[in-house]
Amino acid sequence: MSNLSTIFGGGSTTDPRKEGMPIFGLWGAESSGNTVVNYRVFDSAFRDIGSPWGGATGTTSNYRFGVLSDATHSYSKEDHGSNLMVNHTTETYTSWTNWNKSIYQIDQYPHCFYYTASRDGHVAWQSYHQITSSFEYTVGWTKLNMVLPEGCRPRRMFCNRRYSMREKSGNNSLPSMDFYDYSSHMLNTDNDYCVSTGYNEKIKTLVMVHSANEGDSSAKTIHIFKSTKDLNLVVRIKEFFDNLESTEYFTDSWSTQNNKDWVTVVGNNGWVGFGSKNSNSKKYCAFDCNVKGVGVDITGASRRYLDWQDFAGSTTTSYGANSGNQYYTRFNTTWDGTWGLIFSPYYYYGPGINAFAMSLENPRKFISINQTKTSYPNPYVAWNRTGFHGGNSSDTDSTSWATYGFSFDPTDSDHTVDTTVFMGSTSGEATMPDNNAHVGGTYTNKTGNCSIANCYTQLTGGYYSTCYPVLIGINWWGTYGAGDQSYGGK
Amino acid sequence: MAIYYFTNAGEPCTPFEVTGEDLMKKGMAIKATVPDGIESWRLSYDTAAKAVVVYAEGKDEAGAVAQQATDAAAEATAGKEKSDAATIASEAE
Repeated sequence: MSNLSTIFGGGSTTDPRKEGMPIFGLWGAESSGNTVVNYRVFDSAFRDIGSPWGGATGTTSNYRFGVLSDATHSYSKEDHGSNLMVNHTTETYTSWTNWNKSIYQIDQYPHCFYYTASRDGHVAWQSYHQITSSFEYTVGWTKLNMVLPEGCRPRRMFCNRRYSMREKSGNNSLPSMDFYDYSSHMLNTDNDYCVSTGYNEKIKTLVMVHSANEGDSSAKTIHIFKSTKDLNLVVRIKEFFDNLESTEYFTDSWSTQNNKDWVTVVGNNGWVGFGSKNSNSKKYCAFDCNVKGVGVDITGASRRYLDWQDFAGSTTTSYGANSGNQYYTRFNTTWDGTWGLIFSPYYYYGPGINAFAMSLENPRKFISINQTKTSYPNPYVAWNRTGFHGGNSSDTDSTSWATYGFSFDPTDSDHTVDTTVFMGSTSGEATMPDNNAHVGGTYTNKTGNCSIANCYTQLTGGYYSTCYPVLIGINWWGTYGAGDQSYGGK
Repeated sequence: MAIYYFTNAGEPCTPFEVTGEDLMKKGMAIKATVPDGIESWRLSYDTAAKAVVVYAEGKDEAGAVAQQATDAAAEATAGKEKSDAATIASEAE
């Protein structure tokens, strides 16, 4: 299997997985969604790229989008509740219509949990009948967090639990494509529950955390596997482990409410960031996982960068994996793969954000990202080259749709200097001011906290009266290059 | 009473002195005294009145969450009624 286009002697070196700039869908409707529904797909410049659609008019007669969209959202809507505009305050994930707006809908993988949406403007909701036993909500936390080249999202899904890695095809219960018990490659088997795994494709390094259980055990064994084979290029998982050039481990004691909340992020420089939600707070620490030699530096303290850092921003009651599998802490990356977020909501089930943003070149460089909404959320998605946006579903009656957008400097990876964050606002004059000031902020490494700002977009929400649009994640952002209208020539 | 730092827009920012004072030096935070035992989501800073506002003041966390749900439901109902009226009006045109 090859991921590089080397046909005819290597004419093109563009990774075929590479996508264009991130795009997203925006679903707006009148109160019931029965008479007026509007769905558009926008690129990172907020230009419409979707196809025209029809069949969404006429009281009691429409099936939401008719032939161009999801007929299962029929008039009776028995599977899917009443509408998609409602708030997200005290509901659980069984309140289907509300959970669509949860921050938990989207992570770095190119699929969402409640729906699947094409770049052409077709969106289809999943059947919710087996949602409590579906893949995502029970074992989604076993997915590998991947650090990949520019423009690439994970196209293969490897999951790690106990001592076994499996390759899956997505959010379903169909058979695995591969299975491998890697325990024979481990140097320490004191803990036999894998609770978090990260992979870095550039340095072909797989780091996994094993604990004594999937609950609150603090015992940890961290293995670092470095191979000569890229996991994303092997035919069988076994090949990665058969070609290990080094295997090391260290042990430590890390406490959190539920081990499913651990997130492992392997940086390009061999430093690894570990983060977790813990009750009303979060914590993060970077460890040196570069090759030291077998039996060297086998304690966490010997590899740690300074000490664990509590989330530096405002936190309030929010759920973690101990409250339900669906609340596990998630990971996402910018389009260019230079910055990542370990994130969870600020408030209970979905609104706001508490995130550690770390340089994926050097995970020792990190700050806190904070937004304190308590209602009407949306997920966050990768935006443009080095940023994210989302998080807001406020009423667009008499105003344009707004979104919390922020962006990093892709070359900013030195943990000894402050981190620059670019931010927007509610006016063009403020983002392109009549002065020479940086619009945004600079934040002290480790203890800095960036409160992100709401930004106007000039987009309607989709209906001229009360409307709380839903931000939709898209499966495929299109091929990178001239075929992508956001292509900037780089 | 405790110290809390708010953004210049009056939103909760951080309870941590190191982080808050750093932001203050950069002109990115407001320092204020807040009541003990109140979760941050209930706190805001009225920049005009220069005063801390506590949502659902006098209630405990459960009471405040319930109040927030009630307020949100009322907002949703009002929004729905407005939206429905607009739809009916447009269909009558």
